[in-house]
Amino acid sequence: MGKLESRNIEKYFTHDGKPLKTLDGIDLNVEDGEFVCIVGPSGCGKSTFLRITAGLEKPDGGEILLDNQPLTNTGPDRIMVFQEGALFPWLNVEDNVEYGLKIAGIPKEKRNQISHRYLDMMQLTQFATSYTYQLSTGMKQRVAIARALVMEPDVLLMDEPFAALDPQTRDLLLVEMQLIWQKTKKTIVFVTHNVAEAVMLGTRVLVFTHRPAKIKKEFKIDYKRPRISEDENLLPYQQKILAELRPEVKK
Amino acid sequence: MKSSTLAKKIGFYAMIIIVWQGLDSADIWPDNIFPSPVDVAEDLAYGIADASLFYGIGTSLLRLSIGLSIAIAGGLLLGIFMARVETVNQTIGSLVLGLQSIPSIAWVPLAILWFGLTDTGIIFVVTIGAIFAVTINTYTGVKNINPSYIEAARNMGAKEGQLITSILIPAAFPFIMSGFKQGWAFAWRGVIGAELLFSFLGLGFLLNVGRQLNDVSQVIAIMLVIMGIGILVDGVVFKKIEDKVMTRWGLR
Repeated sequence: MGKLESRNIEKYFTHDGKPLKTLDGIDLNVEDGEFVCIVGPSGCGKSTFLRITAGLEKPDGGEILLDNQPLTNTGPDRIMVFQEGALFPWLNVEDNVEYGLKIAGIPKEKRNQISHRYLDMMQLTQFATSYTYQLSTGMKQRVAIARALVMEPDVLLMDEPFAALDPQTRDLLLVEMQLIWQKTKKTIVFVTHNVAEAVMLGTRVLVFTHRPAKIKKEFKIDYKRPRISEDENLLPYQQKILAELRPEVKK
Repeated sequence: MKSSTLAKKIGFYAMIIIVWQGLDSADIWPDNIFPSPVDVAEDLAYGIADASLFYGIGTSLLRLSIGLSIAIAGGLLLGIFMARVETVNQTIGSLVLGLQSIPSIAWVPLAILWFGLTDTGIIFVVTIGAIFAVTINTYTGVKNINPSYIEAARNMGAKEGQLITSILIPAAFPFIMSGFKQGWAFAWRGVIGAELLFSFLGLGFLLNVGRQLNDVSQVIAIMLVIMGIGILVDGVVFKKIEDKVMTRWGLR
């Protein structure tokens, strides 16, 4: 029994008028405070699984439980960070970060107090009044992460949030993400196609098979933090994971 | 505006006035058919001096603002409703497309029969002329919203009502803006057209008075005023808002 539980999640998509099985019974148990990374061949349904966990899509079978309660809808207890950030361009950084708090009816002063704590954590304080068109892709993802953390969710769901970043910015954020995780003790489920990224971040890495996706294998990554990308000791982990992943990609 | 562009524009309009004056001096047509620029300017000056021009502009703009405000409120509501509920789109949506093809002036007889020769009748024509442009643009805008915006907002706890004000309207705003602009254009044509036929105060009424008095220079003067207000609203007011929206929404 963990914080977040996925029981036999199944999902079908319609392809050429025929049902196409995408998720073939995903069973997953995430403990409180775990950092779980999911890797898999592109199009395998790992993002779909994350979206189902977030309640943005309905599964065709199985259920998701949070603290043993079955979930039926989306909600701020599981906040999603989207690949392109999905920041609101009509709001400045601060208002973006405070969006969820405003919706919840929290007064301005209190909102400010909370948002500035996370803006500070993400090193965004000086950009509080900037608009998204003035920010680099890396900055935008920082805002997206701050916007998610502000909600103080039970589980943070991240859908390839660093996929569009240049390598330098990504390396920086990969280290910062670990510090944030250590500081906030959040439970995180992180989807990526990048094995090195998964090894740097995860306490556990799950490999999804090619469609219909199942969990093929899982790896515990017991290694000191913060992990950095050029650390050679991480290579064996990557190699083992790639050995499982490669045949799936070729399918 | 760059100074060279401005210089070209001034030169162009100066040339029109010179050619116009030249044609008048050539005495091809009698003055009561083809007035000189000076006659028209004098008429404008009279209108300004006895304030009748301002009264006309004020009346027309007031009717326009009331009608356009109703059209904007109604069009936003209808457009969002159409975009969010497929059945509404399939039913009311098809009617909206049909109604949009009716020129606003064609609503005048109905407006007179329903409301008599009153302000309400003119406002009705303005509203009905503008509302469908706002509706259709709002619909398109909401349909084109990046779905992640809506998902992110719902994920953070937004209910459908909060979604409308905090996401749908601002996210669709570049389109809604075009709706306002088109709506304004239809409303402006609508108000002048309706005033001509209702013949009850306003710039359209002044045009009609000019015709009845055989005063060609007054007719042209009022037409210039109508054009001037159009340029001011389109080229200054809407352009400013549009520039800001395009930049902030990252559309340029």
